[in-house]
Amino acid sequence: MPKIRSRLIVASALLFVFAGVSSAQHSATDTYAITNARIVTVSGPIIDRGTVVIRNGLIAAAGANVTAPSDARVIDGTGLTVYPGLIDSYTNLALPEAAPSPSPGGGGGGGFFFAQQQQRPAAGPNSTQPAGLQPEVMVEDVIRPGGNEIEASRNVGITTALTLPRSGIWMGQSALINLFGETPQQMIVRSPLAMHVGFTPLRTGGYPGSLLGVFSTLRQMMLDAQRYRDSLAIYEREPRGTRRPETDRSLAALIPVIEGRMPVVMLANSEREIARALDLGAEFKLKLIIAGGREADRVAERLAKQNVPVLLSLNLPKRTTAALAEADPEPLRVLRERVEAQQTAGKLAKAGVRFAFESGSNISDLMANVRTTIENGLQAADAVRAFTIWPAQILGVQDQLGSIEAGKIANLTVTRGDLFDRTTRVTHVFIDGRPVDIKPERAPDSQTKEQQ
Amino acid sequence: MKQLISRILLLAIIATLPVKAAHAQRPAAPETLIRNATVLTITHGTLQNTDVLLRNGKIAAVGKNLNASANARVIDGTGKYVMPGIIDCHSHSMLDTINEGTLAVTSMVRTQDVINPTDVDLYRELAGGVTTLNLLHGSANPIGGLNTVVKIKYGRPASEFLFPGAMPGIKFALGENVKQSSRPNQPGVTRRYPNTRMGVEEVIRDAFIRARDYKRTWDEYREASKKDKNLIPPRRDLQLEPLVEILEGKRYVHAHCYVVSEILMLINLADEFGFKIKTFQHALEGYKVAKEIAAHGAGASIFADSWGYKIEAYDAIPYNAAIMTRAGVVVSMNSDSDERARRLNIEAAKAMHWGDLTEEQALKLITLNPAIQLGIQERVGSIDVGKDADVAIWNGHPFSVYSRVDTTFVDGEVFFDRETELARRPELAKERATLEQAEPNRPRVGGPSPQSPRRRPSKHEDEPQMTQIENRDF
Repeated sequence: MPKIRSRLIVASALLFVFAGVSSAQHSATDTYAITNARIVTVSGPIIDRGTVVIRNGLIAAAGANVTAPSDARVIDGTGLTVYPGLIDSYTNLALPEAAPSPSPGGGGGGGFFFAQQQQRPAAGPNSTQPAGLQPEVMVEDVIRPGGNEIEASRNVGITTALTLPRSGIWMGQSALINLFGETPQQMIVRSPLAMHVGFTPLRTGGYPGSLLGVFSTLRQMMLDAQRYRDSLAIYEREPRGTRRPETDRSLAALIPVIEGRMPVVMLANSEREIARALDLGAEFKLKLIIAGGREADRVAERLAKQNVPVLLSLNLPKRTTAALAEADPEPLRVLRERVEAQQTAGKLAKAGVRFAFESGSNISDLMANVRTTIENGLQAADAVRAFTIWPAQILGVQDQLGSIEAGKIANLTVTRGDLFDRTTRVTHVFIDGRPVDIKPERAPDSQTKEQQ
Repeated sequence: MKQLISRILLLAIIATLPVKAAHAQRPAAPETLIRNATVLTITHGTLQNTDVLLRNGKIAAVGKNLNASANARVIDGTGKYVMPGIIDCHSHSMLDTINEGTLAVTSMVRTQDVINPTDVDLYRELAGGVTTLNLLHGSANPIGGLNTVVKIKYGRPASEFLFPGAMPGIKFALGENVKQSSRPNQPGVTRRYPNTRMGVEEVIRDAFIRARDYKRTWDEYREASKKDKNLIPPRRDLQLEPLVEILEGKRYVHAHCYVVSEILMLINLADEFGFKIKTFQHALEGYKVAKEIAAHGAGASIFADSWGYKIEAYDAIPYNAAIMTRAGVVVSMNSDSDERARRLNIEAAKAMHWGDLTEEQALKLITLNPAIQLGIQERVGSIDVGKDADVAIWNGHPFSVYSRVDTTFVDGEVFFDRETELARRPELAKERATLEQAEPNRPRVGGPSPQSPRRRPSKHEDEPQMTQIENRDF
């Protein structure tokens, strides 16, 4: 009888794994073992042939001499490679209304067209600030599980993502989520993770209606937050006889920011946008992170010196026009930009700037673009790091994610072939220790998709 | 020795490649000796067959038969003219956005936050002998944003453009642009106050009353907090702080204006609050109140002969510069346009034709006078020993339409050189061909329909198509 039962379990495990059934029926004690696999631990040397044991949502053990526990559902990993689950360090996944993917070509401070396309920023009740200027807004409140985009991300091996709608100036506070779970609560790994800032003016007709005003508004609100904090301190010291400061949730949300306790992610792509963000960060001693970073290599020295990491977009700029004879020639600068964007990652690595990849919400081109950056000077091992341990470190979750080590969250991406090879297939994805339904084949490169 | 040679080589490369700048530690500008040129000194006449020595970013010597060190670059100036770099007292070049037009008082916004050091207009301006710009906020608001004075160090990071020691300034604006910026530009948006010249005056007066109160509040707090440590400090207000600086004489006011009534209004208002207007910008009717402007101690920064392009420009006359100059007003000619900025020399020359200014007076309109208006006359604006080596070599007299700039120096470094520019064009063409061929991510045939690259709107702020300069991004 026990024998039959264990056979049943194995059979059902196989069903789960290979037929890709994913339901809510897993118990927390599910145990898996991937045996005979190549293990790219990231934190240590690559294990050519070893076993990864997953128990209770965590990595229980990984190594050449590890054996599968008797109660484990065993996956024969012969010919497979196990990677830490990939982290997409800036997305708008799991949100009620998918924002349009940002135009990769847009630089500078203009972007009127882009701004028009943006969704309305979320607005909180009883805020002292208009929508778009509410740092107290938390993405945690609007996350919802499921959706095609999440599935597409998992299909290429992404298990974890930072998420936030890209709208407004103070865009609010992001969350780091695992891309699997029946409820938002199950998905969230950490919230709030960071404060986010964009430099696109409000389009409501109100102030600030230009890039000029955006900077002044950010400055004024951070000054106000300083005063709010100081006023509260004085009031708490001596409530009797001190006039009570008016409560202000917007300013309260900025206190951890101005005290350098909460990182601030600023969207900046061109050299001058990044330089401006660095200036503002230095002015208020912020714990700054740059997102986008297309020309970050040009400011590499400053980034390294100020120890500011970059969430580098892999949504590489592409030509938006077919080259027709009657079209105006593109400026040389634009032609150069497209070539140079492919070299940014490699240059950042060489300059010692900390960076992590983000998809720029362009999943269909993601792996092709990683290959492009590798062809343009990035070490393949660094490309793996930029998807795993580097984002974990930059986002402050290096104890939970980013490598295959005992005790970390069991987010794993299993492939047949090297992660970034053209012919590689993602075979299994584990999130929080559970196998997740994936399409057997990785989404092919962009060209075919674009034809549709 | 080897090191010395490589160093010289490096200097030479930097000198000849002004656009491809080296970012890291920059060596001091190389020494340059311009021999046997006609030197338009501005302050002490025109010197024939004279040498100018540029060393360590400064004008080191002006005279005959000067000696330079062995590694100096020597330029034969025979038949050429050396002139101080032109100063444009009203520019919107290199600004990613010009107006924050949502409010009537935007003294909290700073043009320095939005400068774009890669704007190609800068290179064109260098090619017109311009070396310094007064970057002003637009004219949508009675009180606009803070200005930035820059040296055109094209190819360098934004921080290197800032003119050290220039007086901080601010843009004010009166008249039609302000009134018309109050038109709602989106349905459902409330009309902004003010909508008349009366309202403009009221907005400015109100702002200064608030600034006066603000200053008093802080003064009182500083006094009281010596005794009571539990006092909550007043709010720092970035809108009012610059206005307090104006009241304290620490910030120059550059006021966009056209007609007599508003010029006199602003003089009276400034007198009421005890501050000075540094320049009246445009001031097309300035000739009617030249004495009053001079008595206030203000300057005027104008166009040569632009006329009738809007209702408040109908009484303009091309004698404006001459009349105001003779009344004792410090007058400059500005561009307010990326295009006109390339030919400010001709704008100045017009003042000799209309109104018979002397050559030196006319030259001052684009050199020493704007320097005075920006508080940088100790550094630039003339060819004097000890001033910054911001000079241009012209192949003929700059007041001839046939003349052009051969070389432009900023702080002794070459930032434009015609020969170098022409020489590198084949190379650029080759690069373009290569890049176009090796186009990454080229869309397939049958992709999205073509669209031409987005053109940036022109930034001629005061021409007819721009009368509606609302809340718009450039």
